[in-house]
Amino acid sequence: MAWITENRRTATVERRSEPYLTEEIKAGLTAKYFPRYPNKRAVLLPALHEIQHAYNWIPVQAMEEIAAFLEMSPAEVLDTATFYEEYWLRPKGQYLLQVCRSLSCEICDSRKLTDHLIKKLKIEEGESTADGRFTLVELECLGACGTAPVMLINDVLHENLTVETVDELIAKLPASANDYHDPAVTWDEGDGH
Amino acid sequence: MAFNEPVLTKRIDADPGKRKLHFYDDYVATGGYKSLRAALDMTAADIIKTVTDSGLRGRGGAGFSAGQKRSFIPREKKGLHYLAVNADESEPGTFKDRYLMDYDPHSLLEGVAITALATQVDVAYIFIRGEFHHEIKVTEQAVKEAYQKGIFGQGGIFGSKHKLECYVHMGAGAYICGEETGLLEALEGKRGWPRNKPPFPAIAGAFGRPTVINNVETLCCVPPIIERGPAWFKTMGTPSSPGPKLFGMSGHVNKPGVYEDELGITLDYAINKLSGGMKGGKHKGTICGGISMGVLGPEQLDIKLDFDDVRFRGGCLGLGTAGMIVMNEHTDMIRALRNCVRFYAHESCGQCTPCREGSAWMKKILDRILAGEGRARDLDMLLELEKSQGIMPGTTICGLADGTAWATRTFVNKYYEEFAAKCPEERPTQMGIKRGIRNVTTPMGSNTR
Repeated sequence: MAWITENRRTATVERRSEPYLTEEIKAGLTAKYFPRYPNKRAVLLPALHEIQHAYNWIPVQAMEEIAAFLEMSPAEVLDTATFYEEYWLRPKGQYLLQVCRSLSCEICDSRKLTDHLIKKLKIEEGESTADGRFTLVELECLGACGTAPVMLINDVLHENLTVETVDELIAKLPASANDYHDPAVTWDEGDGH
Repeated sequence: MAFNEPVLTKRIDADPGKRKLHFYDDYVATGGYKSLRAALDMTAADIIKTVTDSGLRGRGGAGFSAGQKRSFIPREKKGLHYLAVNADESEPGTFKDRYLMDYDPHSLLEGVAITALATQVDVAYIFIRGEFHHEIKVTEQAVKEAYQKGIFGQGGIFGSKHKLECYVHMGAGAYICGEETGLLEALEGKRGWPRNKPPFPAIAGAFGRPTVINNVETLCCVPPIIERGPAWFKTMGTPSSPGPKLFGMSGHVNKPGVYEDELGITLDYAINKLSGGMKGGKHKGTICGGISMGVLGPEQLDIKLDFDDVRFRGGCLGLGTAGMIVMNEHTDMIRALRNCVRFYAHESCGQCTPCREGSAWMKKILDRILAGEGRARDLDMLLELEKSQGIMPGTTICGLADGTAWATRTFVNKYYEEFAAKCPEERPTQMGIKRGIRNVTTPMGSNTR
């Protein structure tokens, strides 16, 4: 949901001594993204993506560090980060299972998939398994209505699913999510230009 | 008017098994970048005139004249000009831009480069929604190739004096960023709250500079127009909506998928000829262009799918993105509408009260009807709420609430009997006649399913 209300005045912020926004990430952002935009603030979305890529979620301390790096107030970073659903401001599982629930998928029985996963993983929608391997969420349209029902597992889209194919997919997932890649990407991704 | 050969999908095989991603070499081997070289010999005004003469209307949903949109950009350049490509395809039922980026990313880049020439753009941002991981990777690779081949970069387009930078900007999961000024806010690193207009983006858009914003499919139409001319483009489609169009067919059809045909084909043709006919039962209704456009009823199979007929005869908001969700006779229309309204309640950016509160209350009312607690007043309330939110009654900044309104209006009016059957006049209970609004659902936010 794009708009949430939450009492953060009494929330405690967990901190650690080493920074989340490492010199390496900073150097990467400076080289790749600073030349692209006329001001530093515009680098905020890419910076949040980088942090989430590195740590699988975005801790509050990281947002403070981004704020200092991009010369904005931490409140502005929080303001932006809370707006976008792809940013996880709480830890999530190694594999994020996102089942589409919009109209095309719903009339093609996407609810069966979610219900099956709820039973199989013994978690509710929005929760993570105790071992931190899976997080299950339903989300709005993934833009693949012609192959409904569909599900994203991390970066990879799976189409025309049934309960059986979902079982197969989950059984085949590698032990570490770092080994899980989009099989259709056959070229060397590199660092862009 | 006739559609004889694929235009936008000429590099994409009709057989899904034979489809192949075209990177630079394959693109050039099939005639790619010829239009860009031709456009380099034209003046900016000529390019704009050609596009305007073709009658090309924006494929992102609003159907605004693409040539006219370009002509709003100031001729006299006083600073940077930007181009923002809207690839934030998130409207339920719409999956055509994904299709183009998946297989033919360079046709988009060629459209970007030609448009940049016409409007003196210095930097183009391709805003792709964050969930399109594969498309982001494909487009980034294509952009990288285009830099290597001398299309983008400070060397000038094919060595000419026009310099163009092009970057992919990854969104982060918010439908509202498909609204053009919401997209600009997201580009600037802010929450994607649509801006009040005026000023329009053509005058003060990204970073306060003149900005053209176009949909992927619109830009992909530009190279063929430059190559073969406006007269050829007009041989397809109808006089007011010329050209080819991608139709995204999904739901209860035998062969769902993206099909290219000319504008102005009938709904019957789209269902029975393009996508192999109905699956599981007779036709009951079709969402005609993403859920914000509303629904075409069972008797409306003769409606022509162009920007005008859907609106004036079909009783919908318009053709939108031509992403069709076809529903058979076994579909529960109350559930279908609940799904649409939940989408808007969930995706409302929260800026304007009528949209934020209105859509949330509409969802609660529909939840109540589905829980078997519907009352006749609920239908009146739904229709009252839909009339009071959106740009058309003038109560919101952007058109998101109009989507909620048109979906509700068309569903409730076209399937009134079905709704009324679940909403009896009064309902006596042990406590006597119920009065006031009783909320049987959980509060907003805690459970949005």
